[in-house]
Amino acid sequence: MLVVDRIARSFGNVSAVRDVSFTVERGSVFGLLGPNGAGKTTTMRTILGIYAPDAGRITWDGAPIDLGVRRRFGYLPEERGLYGKMKVREQIVYFGRLHGVPASVATRRAGAWLDALGIAGYADRPCGELSKGNQQKVQLACAVVHEPELLVLDEPFSGLDPVNAETMLACLRELAARGTTLVLSSHQMFQIEHACRAFCIVAAGTVRANGTLAELRATFPTRTLRVSPDVPAIRAVFASAGAGEPSFDEDAGELLYELPRETDFGALLRAAVAAGPLQTFERREPTLSAIYLRAIGGAVPEDRR
Amino acid sequence: MNELAIVFRAELLRKLRSRLFWIATAGGMFAIALLIEAPLFFGSIAESSASDVLLAGPPALVARAKTLMERKKDYKIVATVAALPPHVTAAYLAAHGKAGAAVALAVRDGRLHLDVYPRDLSAFDGAQFRDLVPLNIELVTGVASARVDRALTLDRTIHPIGEKFADTRTAALAHGVAFGMVFILYLAIIIASQSVMSAVAEEKTSRIAEILISTIAPADLLAGKVLAAAVIAIVQVGCWLATAAALVPFAASSQLFTSTPLGPGGATPAALGIDPLLALYFIAFFILGYLQYATVYAAAASLISRTEDLGSVTTPVILPVVGAFFVAQYALVEPNAPLVVICSFVPFLSPFVMFTRVAISVVPWWQPLAALAIDAATVWLCFVGAGRVYRVGMLLYGKLPSAKQILAALRA
Repeated sequence: MLVVDRIARSFGNVSAVRDVSFTVERGSVFGLLGPNGAGKTTTMRTILGIYAPDAGRITWDGAPIDLGVRRRFGYLPEERGLYGKMKVREQIVYFGRLHGVPASVATRRAGAWLDALGIAGYADRPCGELSKGNQQKVQLACAVVHEPELLVLDEPFSGLDPVNAETMLACLRELAARGTTLVLSSHQMFQIEHACRAFCIVAAGTVRANGTLAELRATFPTRTLRVSPDVPAIRAVFASAGAGEPSFDEDAGELLYELPRETDFGALLRAAVAAGPLQTFERREPTLSAIYLRAIGGAVPEDRR
Repeated sequence: MNELAIVFRAELLRKLRSRLFWIATAGGMFAIALLIEAPLFFGSIAESSASDVLLAGPPALVARAKTLMERKKDYKIVATVAALPPHVTAAYLAAHGKAGAAVALAVRDGRLHLDVYPRDLSAFDGAQFRDLVPLNIELVTGVASARVDRALTLDRTIHPIGEKFADTRTAALAHGVAFGMVFILYLAIIIASQSVMSAVAEEKTSRIAEILISTIAPADLLAGKVLAAAVIAIVQVGCWLATAAALVPFAASSQLFTSTPLGPGGATPAALGIDPLLALYFIAFFILGYLQYATVYAAAASLISRTEDLGSVTTPVILPVVGAFFVAQYALVEPNAPLVVICSFVPFLSPFVMFTRVAISVVPWWQPLAALAIDAATVWLCFVGAGRVYRVGMLLYGKLPSAKQILAALRA
């Protein structure tokens, strides 16, 4: 289990991370979310020991993270880095060896990953000759060739086309299925929502929300209700229940109400059915995107996005 | 330690596969061969030499002058004629033994008079023909030139006491050899240090460093790179020295370094002033000098974010090595001048300056050892300091860090 406990890290006068804490269960997929400059990369680098925290502590399975522990971690940084003139297979083996994998084992695993990622044909070509997408696949292979216990991925979907993003996602699922603990950051809310079991939303170096999607939803104060048709009788029911002015989804022809989560939706449904020919009455749970926007202070109703 | 070995091996292979390495090695060997052989080659194809002289004048005067001029081998009398034409031309000189100059001898007012027609005025020296002074004295005083010559020549015997060189010729050769070795030292340190610098800059700018530093200790990463480049440099210098060693004996016996050829023994290492101890000093000063420069260069390269910025950090760190080379040139002339002696103990300078002093002069035994000790301590400090700057610098992106930031990294 990864425990990040009240870490802080400054660079000169700039406090990149002020107070960040979260826990990642072994074998789970954890999403670290936040706007640019929130402190995600600094947090990840601190987990990996690239930066020492100014305050707080980080442990893996209860032990402080030293060089020996770090070798059991993998890292896919946001800015991809490969030796342009080094051949693909050789590069993967090199990173494997740096993590203590014997050359023969690293070579075998490199071959398996090249097959899995669909780039076996490029094994003996210099990395610099590959497309950006394929280079990112090589980078992933470099990060996992030593079969890390914890894999930290900073913006793994950044710059990938939908097909390559899907390949990346499939690989991450495969790694998670094998028991690898994943910590990833991304701005691709849809992908991260489906990939992660728990999340931590940070902004300005502090934690704004933390928990599983269900836990985050449970604390979200409103729910969106989609209702149609847009007729006075239906509107009157919601007005009498104290709902505010709805917005209107022109594409779907539906009214959108933001209602407190404690609302008695059953009673509201019965009143709406009694008021007229009700076609749509759908309560939607908040999306990760809505939770995220609200947490960082710019929340807007989810279906208006 | 294992990670260091892995980085070392990978760096070594990368550099050995680099075309630049082979081009630099082969180019260096070619340049050394050219440097050694070119004077002989060009000497053989030169149309004329200023020391090749056509003598003109009364036969008796010409014969005596010829004897005096050829005695010290300063001149080669390529032809003699009774009189020169009214207009001496280059074609005339070419037709008479490809002479570099024609000299008409005459006696005027009881003195020797020379009319000199040099082919190349730039090669003409007013002090030339001093060998004919005894003849002039004979004409003025009536004392035979042979006696005059005896009077002008001091009878001296040099007795080498065996501390440094066997004779004056070997001592002169040692200057040439020392210059060559210091030049190779300079070239190898510059090339190897810049190779480390570009490798670090590549990892920084391509963002590989971030992954590497999350995996292995920055000190191991730095050491692996620096040591791999050292091995490459040693291979390179070995190739260059082997080329020199193969060619110098022929060149040296043909007057490459001195105006007088070596004896029948030829240019053996001993005859060239290269004793095994000097070779050891060369290796020791090369390794310590290289490690000082390479670590500083690596730290400097870690501060840049883009390859284009490399120039801005190269200039400040290249100045010491250029300065050291120039002080070493001064040391070739004045090996025991106070400034030279002081510089021979100053880190970054001493690998060049102390080596030069050791190569050409008698230096108290403790001085090179003290310089080596200072250099070794400097290498340690460089590794510690550069390691800290490297660790911080490799993760800094954007504008170049300020001196304050660098100092903060050094204190960390």
